[in-house]
Amino acid sequence: MATLALIAVTAVLAVLSLGAGPVALSPDTVTAALFGAGTEPQRIIVQEIRLPRAVLALAIGAILGLSGAALQGLLRNPLASPALFGAPQAAAFGAVVVIATGLADALSFALPVAAIAAAFASVFVLLAVAGRNANLLILILAGLALSALAGAGTALAVNLAPNPYAALEITFWLLGSLEDRSFQHVALALPFILAGAAILLANRNALRTLSLGEEAAQSLGVDVGRLRLAVIAGVALGVGGAVAVSGTIGFIGLVAPHLARPLIGHDPARLLLPSAAIGAALLLAADIAVRLIPATTDIKVGVLTAIIGVPFFLYLIVRDRRALTGGLS
Amino acid sequence: MIRLVAACAMLVVSLAVARAADAPRRIVSINLCTDQLVLTLADADQIAGLSPYSRDASQSWLAKEARAFPKMSGGAEDALVAEPDLVLAGRYTRLATRQLLKAKGVPVAEFDVARSIDDAKEQIRRMAALVGHPERAEPHIARIDAALARAHAAASRTHPRVLAVSRRGWVFGGESLTTSLLGAAGLANAAGDMGLAHGGFASLEAIVMARPDFILVTNVRDRPQDQGEALLVHPALQKLYPLARRMVIPERLTTCGGPMLAEALDSLAAQVSAVETSKATPAFSR
Repeated sequence: MATLALIAVTAVLAVLSLGAGPVALSPDTVTAALFGAGTEPQRIIVQEIRLPRAVLALAIGAILGLSGAALQGLLRNPLASPALFGAPQAAAFGAVVVIATGLADALSFALPVAAIAAAFASVFVLLAVAGRNANLLILILAGLALSALAGAGTALAVNLAPNPYAALEITFWLLGSLEDRSFQHVALALPFILAGAAILLANRNALRTLSLGEEAAQSLGVDVGRLRLAVIAGVALGVGGAVAVSGTIGFIGLVAPHLARPLIGHDPARLLLPSAAIGAALLLAADIAVRLIPATTDIKVGVLTAIIGVPFFLYLIVRDRRALTGGLS
Repeated sequence: MIRLVAACAMLVVSLAVARAADAPRRIVSINLCTDQLVLTLADADQIAGLSPYSRDASQSWLAKEARAFPKMSGGAEDALVAEPDLVLAGRYTRLATRQLLKAKGVPVAEFDVARSIDDAKEQIRRMAALVGHPERAEPHIARIDAALARAHAAASRTHPRVLAVSRRGWVFGGESLTTSLLGAAGLANAAGDMGLAHGGFASLEAIVMARPDFILVTNVRDRPQDQGEALLVHPALQKLYPLARRMVIPERLTTCGGPMLAEALDSLAAQVSAVETSKATPAFSR
């Protein structure tokens, strides 16, 4: 029931996002233009500029929320999220290297493929470093190190490429934005996002069993090693595909599952879909907000998600301080 | 070997030409636009170094010529080591470098961004005087004036609205070289209609809504090299602005004010004539 309500909220936000933009269009005009009426500029604005943007916000927000919920389930830790572990930053690095070395242009399939490979490598390294019984301190430290490394690598790769507009392009990759994307971008990202989501959802029962503890799950027939690999692959596919067209957008994956828990409970399997819906709703809302906040140049949506996400992260730490202190020592 | 012979020949020729006695002998340019001017107007043996982008053919009009000279970092360090008696810089870039050089007693000549064809002519005169060859300015200015006259003759009678848009939707506004060039070819800059009289970033939506008759771009690459360039191949723009509605002038002809403007004007005039005669692309009705 709660899931249906969340999906409804997300759908409403997706429709609202078609109405937001620098050119003021009335709801009637937007509806007309969406279904092929209206003037040609209006149709182009709604169908080719705002629609792909809404689709991307929906898909990327959903996969980030889903990845966060899956990682938190896998590690049985509420502070896990792709961004905190450096996966989006690594994906951005992979994509940038492909562009900077001239192997591919900015609209090629090599981009998401490289992003996915880099995201997979980073999450894999992270979990390898953290070991089986993921110690939170090690996870967070390793994640911090990986994301700092990937961020620096991204900036360096853009600098080394013969691109006179490096500063602008670096900001894009590090802060993330959905501005003026097209259906070419949707085609680039969506297949990978769907594949990642399918993998994560297919493993939901194993994640539920894992919440009983690793040994209990083993004895109940869950291959924990396989599950781990599957979740990493799902997260890497989804996050890599997303980052290749949007740059790094952080904290959606951290926040979404936490908002879902009070409504759904703590079952990792049942959390997946609602987390995806909340992730999509959050990114849609943030992407509407960056278009409504008056500013001379566009605000990057990644900036907004970080501004909301980081205080939330701090709040989580304060709330769970006692438990964390125990876990950290 | 050939290059060496050429360099020797240039040296002989340049020595033969009279030069003001107090003319600078070691000029370092740390700005792409002053690179173009000094390459055009100074003797080869006067140039001690050029800016980092001087050899980038996409931006630098004289990229090939620039290869004969040392490429500097654009910073103060190698500029000082070159012991210049004149450093050429832009007025709005590398403030710290300029301050440092001045503090070390190096004469620094700063050039404004050229905002019109007249500005550019003025800069040619100033550079020619600076390098001790004031007489070299006039032939270049005459060439620009001739191109201006040709552009006026070919100028559009219908004054279509053109939006000069570059990567990430940057639009060149009112007082700019681009507006000046457009005006010379009888075209109206659509930036003013969009509230971007002084230039700025235009969203894709705003461009589609304003619906200029043509867009002026710097290239027609369909494989964008980064997300900033990807904007120019966005399906929304491709649909409204197929090749027939795009005018193209490479960046190296419009980034700076200088002798390359003659080429820019001729190219623009040719494209206007082509559009006028074909009549295949009428102005958008509004």
